[in-house]
Amino acid sequence: MNNDQAKFILHAYRPDGADASDATFEAALAQARQDPALGAWLERLQAFDRAMAQKLGQVVPPAGLREAILTGGQVSTPTRRTVWWQPVWLAAAAAIAITAVTVLSLRPARVEAATLAAFAAGDAVQRHPPGEGEVWSDFQGVLAAPTTRFGGALPVDFEALRTKGCRTIDFQGREVLEICFKRDGNWFHCYIARRVDFPGATALAAPAIVAQGAVHLATWADDTHLFAVVSKAGREALERMI
Amino acid sequence: MPGETFTQLVDDHYVPLYRFALSLTKSPSDSCDLTQQTFFIWAKKGAQLRDESKAKSWLFTTLYREFLRIRRRAEHLTSLEDLAPADSDPPAPEVDVVAGMDAGLAVAALQEVDEIYRVPLTLFYLQEHSYKEIAEALEVPIGTVMSRLSRGKAQLRAALARADAGTRGTVVPFNQQKTRKTS
Repeated sequence: MNNDQAKFILHAYRPDGADASDATFEAALAQARQDPALGAWLERLQAFDRAMAQKLGQVVPPAGLREAILTGGQVSTPTRRTVWWQPVWLAAAAAIAITAVTVLSLRPARVEAATLAAFAAGDAVQRHPPGEGEVWSDFQGVLAAPTTRFGGALPVDFEALRTKGCRTIDFQGREVLEICFKRDGNWFHCYIARRVDFPGATALAAPAIVAQGAVHLATWADDTHLFAVVSKAGREALERMI
Repeated sequence: MPGETFTQLVDDHYVPLYRFALSLTKSPSDSCDLTQQTFFIWAKKGAQLRDESKAKSWLFTTLYREFLRIRRRAEHLTSLEDLAPADSDPPAPEVDVVAGMDAGLAVAALQEVDEIYRVPLTLFYLQEHSYKEIAEALEVPIGTVMSRLSRGKAQLRAALARADAGTRGTVVPFNQQKTRKTS
């Protein structure tokens, strides 16, 4: 083995010594011990590799990513990036929602918030009539207002919305409101459920954003309601509203 | 899979997976999506994996495959593979310069490395994978991994040298300098 061959192999030798017992490196390491020039080269390489590994180790994921993954993992539905408006995808979305609801309904009550999120993701990509009436229109205005920030309590009068024109969906025998609204040129769908209807729900007070196929969801809860805002406008569009 | 097991899996691997994704996508939000997508796929299919010790490799391989699927740059990767060997010892910035460099700048330099070398190089610097595991994850021979690490480090050194020069400012010939007005 010449020095060039030894260098070639030693580039794969991790700087933390995790490969010390790997026989592949034995001969190259032995040569580095005997050849001062190669030894000095290896020392520089290891120092360089250690410095880079340390830099990469300083990268910290954004706050909330862990919670978003855990929430999304509970949803655990297929995530395909097919164009959402294709008829096949619409059919698939409905199937996904049904599958998720069916599978997750067999789980303990604590995953119900995730189940609701899965349901919302499936429902949002389907065509449906908007709500109507003054109460619905006023609340849609609140959601559409640039000053409204998601992640905390919203002025929800569930009963008034339910009885005066808001689209109400039956989900496993429980009522869920859906209000579509537009912000910055993008459409969003806000789903609202009563916490009393989901006693085991573990939704977070701080919003968690998860990717779900062609859409993103922001989910959170206040004292009385569970919220899911769904859009195909992307993560950044949701982040801007939090 | 039981919720506790999934939580443990996320806690063990989401940070290095995010770092790997960031190196691939160069975008924090795309990296979040890619990391989440990987765990979604695990939640859907991963439980079928019988050997739990393979979970780490499975996650990294899946993330990489998802990235490739999205990027669809297979032809470009093939052409890069044909490049001539890199200079094994190009001019390198001093190690203490790298050590003193802002982490964001160092990672940005890593992101400048051609994708075909950047992928194994990032896995190498995460220090969680041996060259054999990298070969397995990328489905390439061991010799190819070693070759890509060698070339990748050469490109990285060059990128770091450029980044270091950039932080120290552009050198302007003396006769082109403008007189600065001082009050």
